[in-house]
Amino acid sequence: MSLLWFVLGQLAEIESMGSSKKIITKEEWEKKLNDVKIRKEDMNKLVMNFLVTEGYVDAAEKFRKESGTEPDIDLATITDRMAVKKAVQCGNVEDAIEKVNDLNPEILDTNPQLFFHLQQQRLIELIRNGKVAEALEFAQEELAPRGEENQSFLEELERTVSLLAFEDVNNCPVAELLDISQRLKTASEVNAAILTSQSHEKDPKLPSLLKMLIWAQNQLDEKAAYPRINDISTATLEDPGV
Amino acid sequence: MPTSAAASSSSENQSRPVPEDIVGRLSSSMASYEIKLKALRDLKNQIIGNRTKKLAFLKLGAVPSVVSILSSATAAASCRGGYDDNLDSIIIQSAAVIGSFACGFDAGVQAVLDAGALPILLSLISHQNEKVVDAGARSLKLIYQSKLAPKYEFFKDQNLEFLLSLLNCKNENVTGLGACVITHSCRTSIEQRALNDAGVVRKLISLLGGSVIQRDSSLESLAAILKENSEVILKFVGPENGRALNDVIELTKDKHPRTRLLACMCLVVIRNALPSYLQDLQIKTKLVLILLELLDDPGQVGEEAPFILSSLIVGKEDMQRLAFQENVIDKLCCHLEKGSLQAKRLQGIFLALADLCSRLESCRTKLLSLKALQFMVDAMSHDSAEVRAAACICLKNVSRSVENLSAGTFMNESVINPVVQLLCDTSTSVQVAALGAISNVVVDFMVQKTTFIQFGGVKQLVELSKSMDSTIRMNAVCALRNLMFLVSDRCKEAILLELTQSTLTSLICDPEVSVQEQALALVCNLVDGSTDGIRHVFADNCSLLRAVVRQIQSASKVEVVIQGMYVLTNVASGDELHKEAVMDELFPTLPGGPQSIVIKFLQSNESQLRTAAVWTLVNLTLPNSSGAFGRAVKLRRAGIISQLKNMMNDPCLDVKLRARTAFGQMMTLGDGSP
Repeated sequence: MSLLWFVLGQLAEIESMGSSKKIITKEEWEKKLNDVKIRKEDMNKLVMNFLVTEGYVDAAEKFRKESGTEPDIDLATITDRMAVKKAVQCGNVEDAIEKVNDLNPEILDTNPQLFFHLQQQRLIELIRNGKVAEALEFAQEELAPRGEENQSFLEELERTVSLLAFEDVNNCPVAELLDISQRLKTASEVNAAILTSQSHEKDPKLPSLLKMLIWAQNQLDEKAAYPRINDISTATLEDPGV
Repeated sequence: MPTSAAASSSSENQSRPVPEDIVGRLSSSMASYEIKLKALRDLKNQIIGNRTKKLAFLKLGAVPSVVSILSSATAAASCRGGYDDNLDSIIIQSAAVIGSFACGFDAGVQAVLDAGALPILLSLISHQNEKVVDAGARSLKLIYQSKLAPKYEFFKDQNLEFLLSLLNCKNENVTGLGACVITHSCRTSIEQRALNDAGVVRKLISLLGGSVIQRDSSLESLAAILKENSEVILKFVGPENGRALNDVIELTKDKHPRTRLLACMCLVVIRNALPSYLQDLQIKTKLVLILLELLDDPGQVGEEAPFILSSLIVGKEDMQRLAFQENVIDKLCCHLEKGSLQAKRLQGIFLALADLCSRLESCRTKLLSLKALQFMVDAMSHDSAEVRAAACICLKNVSRSVENLSAGTFMNESVINPVVQLLCDTSTSVQVAALGAISNVVVDFMVQKTTFIQFGGVKQLVELSKSMDSTIRMNAVCALRNLMFLVSDRCKEAILLELTQSTLTSLICDPEVSVQEQALALVCNLVDGSTDGIRHVFADNCSLLRAVVRQIQSASKVEVVIQGMYVLTNVASGDELHKEAVMDELFPTLPGGPQSIVIKFLQSNESQLRTAAVWTLVNLTLPNSSGAFGRAVKLRRAGIISQLKNMMNDPCLDVKLRARTAFGQMMTLGDGSP
């Protein structure tokens, strides 16, 4: 991450000089990079934050032992959260709802939108499995009252129920509801809600740092030619094109 | 129809337990521990997030059964001591069920309280098992978030110590509960001071640096402790160069919308109580902009934002101007245009718009130019009483626009009809708000008042002027009073016909002072202008005049006397007969009788009463009327001349000028001496 601070520093420096486009060679760049100090503990915390937020509980446990970095959350809760997420991803929505309610009954009681989306997902699964009668009953009993409470829920409900009207659901205007991406969307919504209820950030810090790096590079591009990182996964410094 | 029949998951296959069965298992004394636990979990999973189910189970009597299970489980646990997983599970599940019944559902809260759950849940806070503590704290928090929860008595027994122990607890749910109790119960300045003295504020400030949940609940309770209490606020902003205040200001930039909202709320509370703080333009503008932006939040934050915006600008012209400059009106109207808003959000937006239009004509013009009148009219038929009332309040403030009143903007069927209909609303607050709107709308300078009378509005107003509720009575009479303002004789006739002399007479003698005042002001408008109008107070054996004079002589509130004297002033502007009648009432010619009350009024400390009294004298001594001379003689004898002499340099300009006029007129008339 030292690169980000460095790029930002360069940005400020060039800004203050107000010069025309400057060229920085790879050697100069690396030399300057060497002068930037980053604390090891900070790096570890970022890694731990990533593992915890993304739910890599075993990795987090190992990393804790090896690096001595304490996670800011009880690792046991990660297991529970991941079980919920996995249940939604596999289409076991009712199971997921029960697990969330065991974890913290407040989450679904105070988050009508999330609750609706889970129930909607349940309806989608029933339709996917061809349980038409059950689906209709469920829509009527569980979802219709929510639609009465909220106009936008009603619209979404109507869209979902319309799945039942098509002969070939895979080629209908609402086919995307049956797509696996819909499950993932719902799963990530539940995941975020659980994290929020645990006072934890719902997004890991690492991606935002990388986003900042790209933004800073784009800013610097206008003012200087320098060894850019184009491939984030390898973080290779490219030669500055002149 | 879907043709694919993929393998289904097992859980979707199970048939759902029927509510009656669940309740049966809960209340059965024979059911085993496993059966009860299963029933509790089933119940919990059915009601969470589902209002309809909560109501259904409530009707089946589930709440008392669950509370009694919780009660016996806690009793058994305390007998046994130490951990008992089975009992703990029962306690956790039943506490969760109780919490869910209390979550966002008033009938549920009431049932939970009636079943006596509160003390049992409180006892869970000191339980050894952290999961039990969590469950208890969560449920209590949900109960204390409701208005129906009893006020926590800070001064009783060890309550304050207990509260502090909650705040000092390591468990986040427990500190959250402590903050929630404060938010719910801290109302009086004595409580606010006591909480501050006990170190609660200091603790809450330290919690601002904690987790998101702790931060938010601390901000909320800080607002409750600081509200309208400048003494406690000074102690809050003073230490460490206002570090706490700066912390709160920082939190208005937080990335969580709820935190931003609550930080704004705290700052608004501080600003409103201590106007010397947070005055620079930058922070004022920032508050307006943040709240405006929060309005876009689709959830609860967006619903609460307009209310805080409203408390930021209410009664403060500088803030209203600033909000106007920042295009708040356009943005609020944009939300209204989008339509299908939740009731609470709609209510908040109308209230904020109402506050914006309370003083500045520019705001009213802007709002009307955005066709907002139609939004208000539409909202008057909304399902929610709060929305209907808020729409009326908005109409009331926007109709303060003299320009639009005289243009007759509001006096048409599409506006008047819906407001008049709300006069029969089932909610008192809607009726009062509708009366307020009508009061303003009918202060119309043009001929359109007949329109209102034609719509049958008067009938409704008269009906409400007989209401048992004094607020409604007062507002109804106020509306009639404004309707009577500068109206044609034919309209006066029509209004009085509906109202009747006897109702008006009894309103003048109403037990409520505010009603008396409005009723006298109504009579004042009735007798304003032509002699035809004045004649009404002499009808029925002078019943109205008698009632007015009785109030002048006996009323304890000076406002009532002032209104009464203005009635006589107007009557005294009529013909000879009218003037003589006023003379007889104010200066009865009883030999050796007591001093006239007019002398007392002329010596009053209230400049308005002096003005009213002196005006009456001016009208009684207008030199062009035939009986003026005789009246001047009587007035002289009553000692008026010397009293007027004392008033030549009255500190009140109005009094001074009128006193000089009256004095001059009496001098012109001479004193009868050759």
